[in-house]
Amino acid sequence: MTQTASAAKKTAGAKSGTGSAARKTSGPKKARTKKKQGQAYPFTAIVGQEEMKLSLILNIIDPRIGGVLVMGHRGTGKSTTVRALAEVLPMIERIKDDVYNRNVNEYLEAEKPKQGRKALTPEDMIVEDIPVPVVDLPLGATEDRVCGTIDIEQALTSGVKAFEPGLLAQSNRGFLYIDEVNLLDDHLVDVLLDVAASGRNVVEREGISIRHPARFVLVGSGNPEEGELRPQLLDRFGLHARIITITDVAKRVEIVKRRHEYDDDHQTFLKKWSREQKKLQKKILNAKDLLPEVTMSDDVLTDVARLCMQLGIDGHRGELTITRTAHAFAAFSGDKEVTMDHVRQIAGLALRHRLRKDPLETMDPGEKIDRELAKVLGEAEEV
Amino acid sequence: MIAFTDIVGMDLAKQALMLLAVDPSLGGVVIPAAVGSGKSTLARAFADILPEDTPFVELPLNVTEDRLIGGVDLEATLARGERVVQHGVLSKAHGGVLYVDSLSLLDSSAISHIMDAMSRGAVLVEREGLSEVHESEFMLIGTYDPSDGDVRMGLLDRIGMIVPFTTQNDYRARKLIVNCVLGKNGGGEDTEDELKMLKGLIEAAKEQLSHVSMTQEQMKGLIQSAVSLGVEGNRADIFAVRAAKASAALAQRTDVDEDDLKLALKLVLVPRATRMPEQEEEVMEEMPPDEEMPPDTPETEDQDAPDDNSTDPDEEEEQEETPDMIEELMMEAVETELPDNIMNISLAAKKKSRSGSRGEALNNRRGRFVRSQEGEMKSGKVAIIPTLISAAPWQESRKKERKKKYGKVNTALVINKEDVRIKKFRDKSGTLYIFMVDASGSMALNRMRQAKGAVSHLLQNAYVHRDQVSLISFRGKEAQLLLPPSQSVDRAKRELDVLPTGGGTPLASALFLGLETARQAKTKGVSQVMFVVITDGRGNISLKSLYEQDAPKATKEEIEEELQGLSATIFAEGVASVVIDTQMNYLSRGEAPKLAEKLGGRYFYLPNAKAEEIAMAALS
Repeated sequence: MTQTASAAKKTAGAKSGTGSAARKTSGPKKARTKKKQGQAYPFTAIVGQEEMKLSLILNIIDPRIGGVLVMGHRGTGKSTTVRALAEVLPMIERIKDDVYNRNVNEYLEAEKPKQGRKALTPEDMIVEDIPVPVVDLPLGATEDRVCGTIDIEQALTSGVKAFEPGLLAQSNRGFLYIDEVNLLDDHLVDVLLDVAASGRNVVEREGISIRHPARFVLVGSGNPEEGELRPQLLDRFGLHARIITITDVAKRVEIVKRRHEYDDDHQTFLKKWSREQKKLQKKILNAKDLLPEVTMSDDVLTDVARLCMQLGIDGHRGELTITRTAHAFAAFSGDKEVTMDHVRQIAGLALRHRLRKDPLETMDPGEKIDRELAKVLGEAEEV
Repeated sequence: MIAFTDIVGMDLAKQALMLLAVDPSLGGVVIPAAVGSGKSTLARAFADILPEDTPFVELPLNVTEDRLIGGVDLEATLARGERVVQHGVLSKAHGGVLYVDSLSLLDSSAISHIMDAMSRGAVLVEREGLSEVHESEFMLIGTYDPSDGDVRMGLLDRIGMIVPFTTQNDYRARKLIVNCVLGKNGGGEDTEDELKMLKGLIEAAKEQLSHVSMTQEQMKGLIQSAVSLGVEGNRADIFAVRAAKASAALAQRTDVDEDDLKLALKLVLVPRATRMPEQEEEVMEEMPPDEEMPPDTPETEDQDAPDDNSTDPDEEEEQEETPDMIEELMMEAVETELPDNIMNISLAAKKKSRSGSRGEALNNRRGRFVRSQEGEMKSGKVAIIPTLISAAPWQESRKKERKKKYGKVNTALVINKEDVRIKKFRDKSGTLYIFMVDASGSMALNRMRQAKGAVSHLLQNAYVHRDQVSLISFRGKEAQLLLPPSQSVDRAKRELDVLPTGGGTPLASALFLGLETARQAKTKGVSQVMFVVITDGRGNISLKSLYEQDAPKATKEEIEEELQGLSATIFAEGVASVVIDTQMNYLSRGEAPKLAEKLGGRYFYLPNAKAEEIAMAALS
């Protein structure tokens, strides 16, 4: 643990002090990323695909829902939507420049056992507000960049072994997005499963031993025709949104028009939509505030449990997810009490991928869930 | 080097390239053509009509991930003592052209990276301690020979124009091409002038482009066509509109006219069709609720909603009459480009099945070297350079440590266990299971259910084994390939859902089709093929009857002979077989074991087999 502290400290020192070379590489990158993000297509201007949008929003309201898997046709705006998310995310507070985005409590907890030093107090800390991070994990990422590794540059220039945090560190308390998640290499899937389950990332190499929090909302997207997702990974996702090609001509005309408008002049388009963006942001913030007050009656809870039982869903993750999602949805709708109507609207999202795979079943999982839900409700009324 | 203007034939391809030069946001052009058609010459000549210093980068097929995405430049890094980044091919093509010859042979991971770069206009380098964003906006020119296989649909989706496949130029054009190559024609001053003119034309069109407008009806018409043709996603719509506008600009017009629309249909929409437009009505009926819904503009009831002015009041009335003209155009485009049936309609429909790419596994021994990864020295081939790279930074500190510990350092390099990098190879390994399901007779439904279950079971295992499944049903006169080699459970299920049963048993036809599928798969790198034949074993329709209309009904002996011959070939080509006998009647058994014997395969009697049992039998 002492090693942890010292290694991490060295990194911190290097980041702020020496590394002029380090800046050379990271400086322009940050600038460019920012520029790209600033120009992202507005979330609110995306036509249709309500399932996907709602799933993402619910995950902002309650990150414990456990992420979203968006599967569907190509060219339907999956990655556009996820990348647009950054602009409607709220701010979080973290220790200034902390590479793991920790808040005061997390930081104090992790850095507690410093030997021979005065214990840190919250008053010593400088904090800053940053937007909830959205980290893109590209398919070609290597494991060392995902988990973090020793800073080569530091090693070269000063022979110091310092830890350079990876994408998992950056995504702590934020979103981790993997496009074409069904094509991700197996060894990276293993890493993700491991970290997603424990909420922390452990790196042991070159005599450095680091463990840091890595709790993120996992967002994956892909086209099922290009390959299946590993079942364990599928199970990790809280919600599963499906996305299909819109066949309504008027809507599609609107999509094309907006896209052209955006391509022609980013700034004007963004300006035009900024009002909507702010409105949504505010709605999300309100929902976040309301969430702790949202309650669910025992009756509703019983119905949810019965639904999961009827559908033969193993384990409790299904119930847990559907309950959390229903809470978030109620909050988003401005309601303090979860009703079965809330449950009905998000049941498909929360349960679709958890139904036992029956190869002979031809019914769409969504329909099956609706049917069982109707049964549960029907019985409930009779009682 | 042959200039763009000297190339004869391939007019549509040329047109597509010119549109691309006018509007690079069309993404690119894919040109499928047979060997020797001059497609790569044309693609390279594309540089002629672009501004002087536009980058033109050719992507080698055997490109490694490092080279494609970029990484650490070892030499420079060591020399300068600071991290030096080497930009990858994708970054080098920024602002210019990325050219891929034999696009269909490109490694699937490379395709994924290209797709990713195209969708974000940048490459994210998260490798070997590097974390960078490199700009990467390029036009992709891809050529390929369709007989080499297909291009992944996901990639095609991001490329604006797909030139319809034409087998050959006419005789005269061919002659001109030969002359051209031999230098008898073209070249010289004329060429230069022509090129100059063309470039001027394109420059003018670029300026014109922003003044080109398209009517609401025209846009609706194009999109209606996309819907009718079952085009997936929204990218094609956007490309079609752009292509039509670029075409108008090239003609120095400010309004899009019929020819422009036709060109957009030909180059953008029709090649992505997944169904013939006639089927449209059925489909529309299936989804009436969508029609009723207003275009989705969230909060339009809000007075100040930003897009109020862009939603049209005339939407409902116009719906009916506008697409007419376009529909005609579309039918024309479809007919002229696609004389054959739906299966040939395009790269879409049947080619969607190309999930073969998923059959690739990274392994430590065989296949093509793609990248290195940490690993045990014993577990594979050591990648020397990456190992040295990972060891290099530590030399000084390690040597110091050693000196402290042992007093001296014997080796020039101190390499520790964690430095070792193992080569990862990509290999299309895995087994292709070809299910042949007897859909004839009364028990067919039962067999289909069994097959379906078994297929799903195998596919759910497939993730680990990288296996693929293909499905052939046989009934009536002829066997039918329901599912080309695929790994998608979704697809397998869908194909199996609606299936007619009953009729004769064309077993030979099934074996023949299976053999063809197996051969194709092997050229794509599938290492093993297994037939899983689910039948009661009594073939009663000969292959011959397929090809000879008036042939007399084949005798039992003739059918037997056919089966014998086919089975021998199948066995000789190293295809393993399992025959699952579903004959309920104990007395009529005996045909299926014989078939298993002919195929040199195993035999299972499973009249009431559960799906798992069949899957197990195939796997055992």
